Amino acid sequence: MAPTQQEQHWMYRNMVTSRKFEETIAGVYFEGKTPVFSMADGPIPGEMHLSDGQEPVAVGVCAHLNADDVVTATHRPHHQAIAKGVDLNKMAAEIFGKTTGLSGGRGGHMHLFDPDVNFACSGIIAQGMGPAVGAALSRKMQNKPGVGVAFVGEGAVNQGGWHEAMNLAATWTLPFVCVIEDNAWGISVSKEDSTAIANNADRAAAYGIPGVRVADNDPYAIYEAAGEAIARARAGEGPSLIEVETYRLAGHFMGDAEGYRPEGEKDALFEKDPIPKMRAKMLADGVATEAELDAIEAESAARVEAAITFARESADPAPEDALTSVFA
Amino acid sequence: MNVPNERKLTIARSMAEAVAQEMRIDPSVFVMGEDIGALGGVYGNTRGLLEEFGSERIRDTPISETAFIGAAVGAAQDGMRPVVELMFVDFFGVCFDAIYNLMAKNIYFSGGTFKVPMVLMTSTGGGYSDAGQHSQCLYGTFAHLPGMKVVCPSNAYDAKGLMTAAMRDDSPVVYMYHKSLQGMGWLATEPGATVNTPEESYTVEIGKAKVARAGSDVTIVSLGMGVHHALKAAEQLEADGVSAEVVDLVSLVPLDRDTIRASVAKTGRLIVVDEDYMSYGVSGEIIASVTEHDISVLKAAPKRVAYPDVPIPYARVMEQFCLPNPDKIVAAFQGMKAA
Amino acid sequence: MATDIIIPTDLWEEDEDAVITTWLVSDGASVQDGALIAEIMTAKVQYEINAPASGVVSIKEAADAVVPKGAVIGTIS
Repeated sequence: MAPTQQEQHWMYRNMVTSRKFEETIAGVYFEGKTPVFSMADGPIPGEMHLSDGQEPVAVGVCAHLNADDVVTATHRPHHQAIAKGVDLNKMAAEIFGKTTGLSGGRGGHMHLFDPDVNFACSGIIAQGMGPAVGAALSRKMQNKPGVGVAFVGEGAVNQGGWHEAMNLAATWTLPFVCVIEDNAWGISVSKEDSTAIANNADRAAAYGIPGVRVADNDPYAIYEAAGEAIARARAGEGPSLIEVETYRLAGHFMGDAEGYRPEGEKDALFEKDPIPKMRAKMLADGVATEAELDAIEAESAARVEAAITFARESADPAPEDALTSVFA
Repeated sequence: MNVPNERKLTIARSMAEAVAQEMRIDPSVFVMGEDIGALGGVYGNTRGLLEEFGSERIRDTPISETAFIGAAVGAAQDGMRPVVELMFVDFFGVCFDAIYNLMAKNIYFSGGTFKVPMVLMTSTGGGYSDAGQHSQCLYGTFAHLPGMKVVCPSNAYDAKGLMTAAMRDDSPVVYMYHKSLQGMGWLATEPGATVNTPEESYTVEIGKAKVARAGSDVTIVSLGMGVHHALKAAEQLEADGVSAEVVDLVSLVPLDRDTIRASVAKTGRLIVVDEDYMSYGVSGEIIASVTEHDISVLKAAPKRVAYPDVPIPYARVMEQFCLPNPDKIVAAFQGMKAA
Repeated sequence: MATDIIIPTDLWEEDEDAVITTWLVSDGASVQDGALIAEIMTAKVQYEINAPASGVVSIKEAADAVVPKGAVIGTIS
């Protein structure tokens, strides 16, 4: 199963938008934080986890999803939010903590909730699994279409809750897909040093479900694997596990000196940047022209700029807004 | 002014130093947790340990809190003395059974025939926009459930002594350190926490509160970062001719009710400062400990400056609105009416 | 004769300034040669400053001061 020309354009557009967004956010994040780096300072305080390099996972999977499907994501959510169709202005505003944000500034970058496209993310490792499985359960019980997809990191697969959710989804044959973004690092601890086996995809056997590992951050291979898994789910055949080898081009969090990474590792990764690779392939395959791709890039940049401007110009919440929205 | 042999440490360094000194004399002490090895801890509290003691005794773990905290319980019961880190106290949700049903109860269930000499160290506190799952204090949650000692240093001197005491305790100790006091470099640190710390090993008694500042008109009780807010409020009050006494709880379990009661008996007024959620927690416990003991000492109804009962919001203006601070403490005093 | 406490020029590559995040001694304190006396930070990394001599510390740049490589942040006499 290969993406159509239109899908490829969509994928490329979302990858570029994602990258542009992350690069812009990184710049804004450091405003007010130099020369003294204190996480509390600047227009975007707190933690920031950027997805540079991991864009293929988001687009390869979300190319098969519509607004009705449910996605949960992690503390590193921006690329998935963008690919799922989350309102970029409101998302940017939420990251800036503005009243026009998705949650009026209550959630911030790790807690982005958009009911219009059924997207939610959360900061506790592996805990997005349960709600995505639950959404799948809900659709099955109501005889409604739609699948639940949980994006997790490779570190999450060592967390108990991951296994419980996987077992539950398999036991109840739910329309659920778990997508593991394997970027090889859980802050400073490598996957090799923390995981008993080499490929988490092999853990699918423990739940009697298909598991596949996609190598080398290839958006086309991810598209193919995700297509099969999501089709299986939609057909009522139960859950699947997809493990994707991807690359974290930025630190775990902004401000991370990454002293734990072996020397040269980062440089080698930048040479594998999936965006120029996809651009080159689309041109070589004749599915896009330079002009078309340039236009996509320009439009993406403009869209990101508009979102950041919207965020900057939006008002702060009222302080007392902290006390509302606790209960329904 | 010539201060002989002064040596200030940040809390991060004092924790690491305490662990290193104990590990040199006690081979049963070892450390487990996420990023506590090569990184030296996200909060700098295990720096230098991997280099000195190696990976057998300084173990970076997978993201598997239930497993490694449960394993710490088992190891502790089998003659080891583990020091385990729960990276953010907010993560307790994924592993609390190992903590409150095993670590905290096995001494009791065994009638004391099993000991659980482990330290569970965990970061607490917000104020830097890390939002609702990375900014909590949860003092009340841990203090409320029986069977675990709970300590909360406000400065590096206490931090080192409490850690040593905790490692030598045969009961489990939850060691709650506040991020704004730590001295990591990626977050501004309250300077009052970085104090002269003796080079030699020593203990600070678990279960004994300290009077951080003597006074006569009002008692302000707090822990961790709250102690520093209280001290600043006391300075503001002094300018207004009010003499405030600040009590640093140091420990939540055992709770030093005697020191609190003696202070309020002297001043007649009580303000509790608590960064944890207001209801059903530390602030209520302190007030109840005073009022049920002797209400006649009170000249005014007690007040609490505590976090409201809401999830912690991300946006700075909202989070700062909720947090305790010196101005709120001063306002609380001014709002006190005679009983 | 006083010994300068200097921000080393070889700890990091870029020309970025550092911030003195913490003084681990007070002005006027006695220190031993080699003792840890301050923590500094560049954009991402924390470094340690050790006393270049034994003696009494005189602090010239306070905590939170931004200092370039080679800056003298205090003396020991």
